[in-house]
Amino acid sequence: MKEATKTIARDVGRILQALAGLMFASALVSLAWGEYYAVPAMVAAGLLPFALGRTLANAFREAADPGKLHGMIIAALGWFSVAVFGSLPFLFIAWTAELALAPAVLGAPARTGTLAAFTSPLNALFESMSGFTGTGLTMVDDEAVLPRTLQWWRTFSEWVGGVGVIVLTTAILARPGSGSLTLYESEARSDRIHPSIVSTVQTIWWIFILFTFVAILLLWLAGMPIWDAINHAMTGLSTGGFSVTDESIATYDSAVIDFTLVPVMLAGSIAFPVHYLILRGDLRNLYRDLQTRWVFIYMSAGSLLLWALVYTSGTYDSPFEAFRYGLFQFVSAATCTGFQTAVDATNVALGRWPAQAQLTVTFAMVIGAAAGSTVGGIKLIRALTLMRGIQHRISDVFYPKTAVRRLKINGRRLSEEEAAREIEEAAIIAVLWFVFLVVGVFVLLAALPAGEYSLENVFFEVASAQGNVGLSAGITGPETLPTAGKVMFLFNMWIGRLEIIPVLVTLRSLFRRGGVYR
Amino acid sequence: MRARLSLVVDWVSETGPNDPVFDSLLLTGPLVVALVVVLGRSPITTAVAAAYVGFFAAYVPYKALQ
Repeated sequence: MKEATKTIARDVGRILQALAGLMFASALVSLAWGEYYAVPAMVAAGLLPFALGRTLANAFREAADPGKLHGMIIAALGWFSVAVFGSLPFLFIAWTAELALAPAVLGAPARTGTLAAFTSPLNALFESMSGFTGTGLTMVDDEAVLPRTLQWWRTFSEWVGGVGVIVLTTAILARPGSGSLTLYESEARSDRIHPSIVSTVQTIWWIFILFTFVAILLLWLAGMPIWDAINHAMTGLSTGGFSVTDESIATYDSAVIDFTLVPVMLAGSIAFPVHYLILRGDLRNLYRDLQTRWVFIYMSAGSLLLWALVYTSGTYDSPFEAFRYGLFQFVSAATCTGFQTAVDATNVALGRWPAQAQLTVTFAMVIGAAAGSTVGGIKLIRALTLMRGIQHRISDVFYPKTAVRRLKINGRRLSEEEAAREIEEAAIIAVLWFVFLVVGVFVLLAALPAGEYSLENVFFEVASAQGNVGLSAGITGPETLPTAGKVMFLFNMWIGRLEIIPVLVTLRSLFRRGGVYR
Repeated sequence: MRARLSLVVDWVSETGPNDPVFDSLLLTGPLVVALVVVLGRSPITTAVAAAYVGFFAAYVPYKALQ
């Protein structure tokens, strides 16, 4: 076996071991809620990745540190493996209920149509991929009837996925050296808090855990029951968006809860290094850091625009209602959280908002917020780099050829070569993003029943999947989304979380090795 | 058990922004949530939770002003 394969196998094995640990820990939730029938399912689900992960990690213990190429493949395969094995709790618990596998002493799980959807491996994989990538699109018809164990597993997968499974693995199975840095960067992160990557990821977890406690108590004070507050704080902060209720946040129909969740989602959309500096007492980073400054500018401007669009179109009767729903849905989309307050049960569903309002929300999902946070999308820094780059190139014409000009981004004065590299990287990712968005739209248009959904609905749903947002115009569901659509969305969510390039690198490597081309 | 607790305390004090107040908030966070879970909504638990959130919200700007 080649050295590169050994390195990849060893590190994917370590990721699987970390995943197994999460599953074993989640069995405690089954015990706490008296869902004893779920314990064997959770333990069995954990044993498979543990056995495979331990075998791989031990067999190739001495493999070399990963390089950039290996890091990308490890990230792509690691995330895909996590999604595959993370689907086992859904699958096993659903089959436990379906076949009445649990002995009488462990109690019987409720057999519901919602749970039965997970007897399909594709639905279980969809839910798992959606969870770990922090997307939040779901195969669940009614979250409230799910066993608490699965409600927790969905939440926990988003919470961990928000920070990153590789960041988790690096923090738990700390391994100093260049290998950790390569893996850290391959998971769409670059900024460091400390010189050491292990210290950096541990600080990221420190901040994330503290903010989670604050968010839980904040939501509970706003009026949520504590179980709901725990789950929504975790999925809100990780900008995942899974809910434990059927109508997402609209269930509570409370303006206080809506407004309380806005800062929780915003906290998740600001880069961890900035949070660290703020906790150190340097509040100036709220406006001095380019991305953080633009998070606030962009959220304010977008919310006001959406408010104006839904109010002037008569979607809502009062300016306050329009502001409440416009603000929440724009922040939810732009932070890539995907909590929904605009649903039919309480007001006007997103899928029935005017087309221009839906497209505004779609635009928010495409851009996302700050790189280095838990959000998806293209990221603000790339959008800003592209805008500055275009401005720089156009103004170039007005200067003499001999003029030495520097592009300034986030306080850094870039040389011509550096500027070209950064603009090129941002442009490549943006172009790839739109290419796969269009591919997704084509696949969905072909797969969905003709005339059932409008083009803006389809664009909205694909952008939501690829931006790891989770807002739905009503297309995603176990029955409503055809198999081709589910497979396409699995791919969209996977590439969206890893910012496309690592997945393309992995596919190219696999096809070359497999002799599919050349 | 004591060794494990000590490991957690060491981890918390070594990894954060080197501030004993934030470290204490992180360490007491699970206890406050557990208190709310066990006792439910009451004036006491509401006051404890509000104090926790309020302390965090007030300490961040206070630290910046120092």
